[in-house]
Amino acid sequence: MTTSEEKPLWLPPISLVIVPLCVVMVSFSPWRFIPFNVTGQALLLFIMLRAFCYWPPMVRWVKSMPVFHRAMFALLIGSMIVGHYTLDSRTFYPYVSWFIFPTVREDDPVTCREFIATTAGGKKVRLIVEQLFPSIVQIYPLDDPKQYTPAQLDHLAAALATAYNRRHADDPVRQVDLVVMAVKLHPPAAESRAEPSCQLLKRYDFSSDR
Amino acid sequence: MPVAQTLRLLIGPLELLHEQAGPRLLRLTRLGLFLLWIVKLLLDPLWRLAYLPRELFQPIGILALLPSATIDNLMTPTGLTALWLVTLTVLVIGLTNKAFPLTSTLAAILLTAYSCLIRGFGPAVHTDTVALLAVYVLAGFAWADFFQTKFSKEKSSPSAWSSYPLVTIVALLCLSYCLVGYSRFIRGGLPVFTGDTMEVWAIDASLRAYYFNTNIGWHIPEWPLVVFMLKAGLPVITLFEMTAPLCLVSSHYRWIFIPVMFSFHLLSLVVMNIFFFDDMLLYLLLIDWSRKFPALRSAPK
Repeated sequence: MTTSEEKPLWLPPISLVIVPLCVVMVSFSPWRFIPFNVTGQALLLFIMLRAFCYWPPMVRWVKSMPVFHRAMFALLIGSMIVGHYTLDSRTFYPYVSWFIFPTVREDDPVTCREFIATTAGGKKVRLIVEQLFPSIVQIYPLDDPKQYTPAQLDHLAAALATAYNRRHADDPVRQVDLVVMAVKLHPPAAESRAEPSCQLLKRYDFSSDR
Repeated sequence: MPVAQTLRLLIGPLELLHEQAGPRLLRLTRLGLFLLWIVKLLLDPLWRLAYLPRELFQPIGILALLPSATIDNLMTPTGLTALWLVTLTVLVIGLTNKAFPLTSTLAAILLTAYSCLIRGFGPAVHTDTVALLAVYVLAGFAWADFFQTKFSKEKSSPSAWSSYPLVTIVALLCLSYCLVGYSRFIRGGLPVFTGDTMEVWAIDASLRAYYFNTNIGWHIPEWPLVVFMLKAGLPVITLFEMTAPLCLVSSHYRWIFIPVMFSFHLLSLVVMNIFFFDDMLLYLLLIDWSRKFPALRSAPK
């Protein structure tokens, strides 16, 4: 049990001045050896954790833990925080860097590459990787040259056509178009469309496939 | 003083969530979490991944530690079906609560391999990451219970230990939101909230479609009210993300947090085709069941 006489680990008013000062010195001095991206987040995290460290119910709960449980609690929370600071979402998965929509984006028009297939019956269908292979939550955008060489895009188009045909043998894909779709961020007033504008980049012919 | 009283009324009682939780609630959480993963696996035709070009697969996490030949064997219909079946079997055994430290550890390892596998064709997205970490928590604390009873002379009531994994799971869920909020606030700065960023992300996600394809989001520029809602909503959601750890503290905050974030996740599905289904299910743990139902409380010491 905690008592009100317990002295805090760091004197609050001093640490509240010193820690932000350290952040400023570390990230905004002429040397800037640690970017503000790291120190700024660390400061916010420090404030939050510190608040919990002094909140009596939390202190009571942690102190009531037997030693193995306390170690486990520290390990699990600590790993998640360390994982975030690796600034890497792949190497240590599931201890990842947590960022969703963290950067400014102002591309106009917004573009996206997609595979659009034409079936034997003349139907147009979008071949979406995440629908044909539902295990995958997201693939890399098809316009990312770091992720796909032209040959890899060809192989992907063929794999998607095959996967579609496996489930639609009665109306198989005969042709796949790699298109770039574009949506204007600031369209002219009263402009409305049923589909985004499309531009053909490459055509794959699968009419000879069985 | 009326102002102080009103404030006190608004803030409400500050009590640690699940502090009184007992073994029954922990058991229900184990069942719920394992069932969630079982359903996810049952809905997932994992073996289809073998038909994607192998050169697009970039192993992540523990899979990156395996030799290339092992990955080649795994990425066959037989290898993937075997992983799927073994994982499913271990999860079903986990439901029985038999040798839980062992089965939950096996489940954690297999689910990690599975989660790494399905992220090998794209970015390591965050959906279901907290659900995986929750399995780690259940496994970790099951071992802590085991070692504590075996090796420690410390006298403590095992009934009271049930709150530890529950509070930790909620803490991890809140921490995930919190780190996302901090990251956006610090990395993006003010321009993320004042410019067209949210609109661009929404159109981009909508055009790319994913599994759920509502085909709605790319129309956003035609609807000024929705554009305004997105722009105004981002700072509000970021604020809720950054303050998410308050869920551990305040029941009043939780009753605002749950509907706000629930609507946000539903809106993300409609506008951006992104569904954080697992996180939404974990919101069930944001309700302090043991305070409402005495049967779910730990035995008094």
